[in-house]
Amino acid sequence: MSLTLKGRFAPPGGFELEVDLELPRSGVTSVIGVSGSGKSTLLRLIAGLNRSPGFQVMLNGRDWSALPAHRRPISMTLQQPALFPHLTVAGNLRAVPGGSRFDEAVSRFGLEGLLERKPAALSGGQQQRAALARAYLKPAALWLLDEPLSALDAMARARLAPMLGELCRTLGKPVIYVTHALSEVVQIADHLVILEAGRVIGAGPPGSVAAELDHPLSPMIDTGAILTVEFDTYDEAHDLSTLRIGAQTLRVRGDLGQAPSPLRVQIPARDVALALERPLGTSILNCLEVTLTSLAPTPDGAVFAELDCAGQPLRARITRLSQENLGLIPGMALHALVKSMALDVRRGWAQPPG
Amino acid sequence: MAEDVLTSLTLTAALAAATTVALLILAPPLAWWLAHTNRRGASLVEALVALPLVLPPTVLGFYLLLAMAEDAWLGASWRSLTGQPLAFTFSGLVLASIIYSLPFVAQPLTASFRNTPAELLDAASVMGVAPAARFLRFMLPLHWRALVAAGVLGFAHTVGEFGIVLMIGGNIPGETRVLSILLFDQVESLDYASAHLTAAILLVVSLTALTLTYGTLRRQ
Repeated sequence: MSLTLKGRFAPPGGFELEVDLELPRSGVTSVIGVSGSGKSTLLRLIAGLNRSPGFQVMLNGRDWSALPAHRRPISMTLQQPALFPHLTVAGNLRAVPGGSRFDEAVSRFGLEGLLERKPAALSGGQQQRAALARAYLKPAALWLLDEPLSALDAMARARLAPMLGELCRTLGKPVIYVTHALSEVVQIADHLVILEAGRVIGAGPPGSVAAELDHPLSPMIDTGAILTVEFDTYDEAHDLSTLRIGAQTLRVRGDLGQAPSPLRVQIPARDVALALERPLGTSILNCLEVTLTSLAPTPDGAVFAELDCAGQPLRARITRLSQENLGLIPGMALHALVKSMALDVRRGWAQPPG
Repeated sequence: MAEDVLTSLTLTAALAAATTVALLILAPPLAWWLAHTNRRGASLVEALVALPLVLPPTVLGFYLLLAMAEDAWLGASWRSLTGQPLAFTFSGLVLASIIYSLPFVAQPLTASFRNTPAELLDAASVMGVAPAARFLRFMLPLHWRALVAAGVLGFAHTVGEFGIVLMIGGNIPGETRVLSILLFDQVESLDYASAHLTAAILLVVSLTALTLTYGTLRRQ
């Protein structure tokens, strides 16, 4: 019992999507890829907004392929809020056939006071919240979110992200969340699918996707590694939280004391440097003891160093010159330097200050 | 004299109103289809709709007159349906006006429908709204400006038609003698005083209607 996506979709114009995926029937599945990778197309195929005889969509054994979009039991938000401009917020919400839970949707997405406004009088974030509320009203078996934060400015994103995280956790329905930014979903995704040029190049639980990949990711995505950590202490004077990974520590900005535990931290490979010994006199706060497991060339001539950090995979992106200078051989003990500024663990669960 | 004008004014208004109502029912689905279809035959249909813009009204009137004759297919089927003739009657005029004014209603609608943001169509679909309901409940209200503009153009164009009325309607007071025909009559019989009144009514009514409409569209 799960969501099965199988087949090939090749609309006129050269783009081609071919997948054979079995997604879990609960939790949050995040589809990640750069623009043009086919992630939105995949979502449209699930929704029925694109249909093709060669592409099969099955939920819990039921074949949706013949169902037009308006008959599929899905709730979906599009990249644009797509509110009807001639209707008020309330009018947009009431337009959902069979819509229930009106008051609950209004309070959940903070729309009190906005109900009588037309979409043109709303900010981008307010429009997106209204679009989410509209999707929430429809009784659905599956949720589809297409880049829900990408059309928003940083402030609106910071306000909406926790709302989305909360929504995903409490819906009790499977969610497919499409984004180009792994950082958006690193706290909430239970399952990752990575798309490149219409093909799935990696799928699995967040911690293992990077490690499972047969070939290095496109440098544009830079998944790097996702480490699972525990909150330890917060140093108010320096606004730094100390996180524990095995016997080692990581320090990141902000108070993470209220964050759910365990936390996930995404560390892009380009933000990790390697040293043979623990360096002195550096501004970099985080130095993790790691073991080099393997080396692999990147498509653009650099090197990915795969590391083991207290049993969890970590990845560094270094130059070939650095590889030679350090004399790297698998099995070596190294120090991985991670800039604390690079760690952004806050998205998806809490509101950043200001 | 004034009675003639009043009779023709009432008749003209009734003709334009009947035509506009009929076109506002028929043209939106046709325009929606034209705006969104990829079918091969669509350009032929679009050309047929636009044809009255290009053809002299007398050409269209001539063919309609032939078709509306008692022994021709249109005239005969109308008679078997209603017991009435079609040529030289008000009903015949309404039918001819619908064809003649169709492009003035269908074209602004098609242009507006083509500009429907794709994400709104997608949004309606994923909300669970079926295509017919999507059109009636969301697309028509969304394009209300185009509907108003199309209705006014259709109305005004029907008020102003002359050649086609002359061909298939003739000049029967209270039945087919609309204002434009009355004016022609008055000028023919050198009754310039009455002609001034008729022409002024047509001018003032048309200008007022258009100004009010464009004013409404502009304010929104």
